[in-house]
Amino acid sequence: MAKHETPLLDELEKGPWPSFVTDLKQQAATKPECWDILGQLELSYRDRITHWKHGGIVGVFGYGGGIVGRYSDVPKQFPGVEHFHTVRIAQPSGLYYSTENLRALMNLWEKYGSGVTNFHGSTGDMIFLGTRTENLEPLFWDLTHDLKQDLGGSGSNLRTPACCLGESRCEWACYDAQEVCNSLTQRYQDEIHRPAFPYKFKFKFSACPNDCVAAIARSDFAVIGTWKDNIRIDQAAVKKYIACDAEYPANGGAHKGKDWGKFDIEKEVVALCPTQCMWMEGGELKIDDTECTRCMHCINVMPRALRPGAQKGASICIGAKAPILDGAQFATLVIPFIEVNKENDFEDVVDVIEKVWDWWMEVGKNRERVGETMQRIGLPTFLKVMEVEALPQHVKEPRSNPYVFWAEEEVPGGWERDVVEFRKRHAA
Amino acid sequence: MALSKDELKLAIIEKAKKSPKPQLYIKDFYECDPDSKPREVKNVANELVRDGELMFWSSGSTTMYARPDRIQDEEK
Repeated sequence: MAKHETPLLDELEKGPWPSFVTDLKQQAATKPECWDILGQLELSYRDRITHWKHGGIVGVFGYGGGIVGRYSDVPKQFPGVEHFHTVRIAQPSGLYYSTENLRALMNLWEKYGSGVTNFHGSTGDMIFLGTRTENLEPLFWDLTHDLKQDLGGSGSNLRTPACCLGESRCEWACYDAQEVCNSLTQRYQDEIHRPAFPYKFKFKFSACPNDCVAAIARSDFAVIGTWKDNIRIDQAAVKKYIACDAEYPANGGAHKGKDWGKFDIEKEVVALCPTQCMWMEGGELKIDDTECTRCMHCINVMPRALRPGAQKGASICIGAKAPILDGAQFATLVIPFIEVNKENDFEDVVDVIEKVWDWWMEVGKNRERVGETMQRIGLPTFLKVMEVEALPQHVKEPRSNPYVFWAEEEVPGGWERDVVEFRKRHAA
Repeated sequence: MALSKDELKLAIIEKAKKSPKPQLYIKDFYECDPDSKPREVKNVANELVRDGELMFWSSGSTTMYARPDRIQDEEK
């Protein structure tokens, strides 16, 4: 029996797609507060204003992140959502769960919260939606002691690091994304759980340039697998693809089930190379690897014929973000190739991270992502901070400022001049 | 010369008590000792939270610090 009339929300149940309204009504059978979510949302639709109060001092002791306070501004009308805090739970690397773990998490959330979840938030956290303040500490105790899991990041903290499946399943992995993700999560526990920065900071680790965790678009610090040498080509397998051998389906068979016609290597691979660095010669596929931008298209289409090179590592791109102030932006390639080495606890990557943090913590404004700081201060300064030589690819557009401001160290002899010597040539 | 840890703690508490706004960003504490590195200031501020001298206030997207007696408790 509906507790509130929700004619506007009911419209969202029409149509063939899944509806969160239907889900909440179903959940309300065992969790009556779900009726109040619907009631308050219906009121917000009518009033055209949110009725959530955002933020507060809720949290668990010693943690400055992981819990996001939510309160209703109409608690008398909707007592079930008077408190409706969000809890972020750190996800396992690569999102590997056992069903046992998922059941334990759901039991925990049925016990202490509304049972409503969001799998996953944009940093990969499991999001538990809706609990009261007095349930937070008991929930945290059970989560950490019984399930051995932890809260994720929120606020001006390092957010929960995220990674792809990496070497656990993917033959294209150029480094062990899960290992580095776990290692840095352990190393930076303080930064994850307590505010450290001008604003949020996200790590994402993709083990190859397919970038399955969208690191280049969604993380302040993207570590994307790459290789230094040439794409490895098995010319015999290339011939099998061209011959449409059934054992060699294009795209690993991902698009089978529809007749796409005969595989055409010129049309489907060579002509689609964004840098046009491939060609067929004497029945063999040739690649000018110096021009390859690691788009992965050819490797994705012919996985049995082409493989990433053997000298593997990662590129580091810095400064991506979703739209908040200035609109969305991709990360900028700062370190073209870096060794990702477990033997030295990923020290090379750590050095880059801490160089970025030391600079950003000093010059970043409050609520400014590192990509926005880079944009405001300028890439040339950022590259100097990172001790990286500028590349032609760093130039986004032709200069619009006609003045060149040289730094003293860029001018032979610096600013010091022998005036007497100068006056011999140029009388005052 | 950078302040000692205890001096920095006192300076941060003083700032949190006297600041016109009750909630402060971590960067607001940097000026308590311009000679200390930001990460040192952050570590001291977090220690003050453990000591109960400061507490966290979170909007969800940003986390701020405040004196417990100055912060508005939404539940009261």
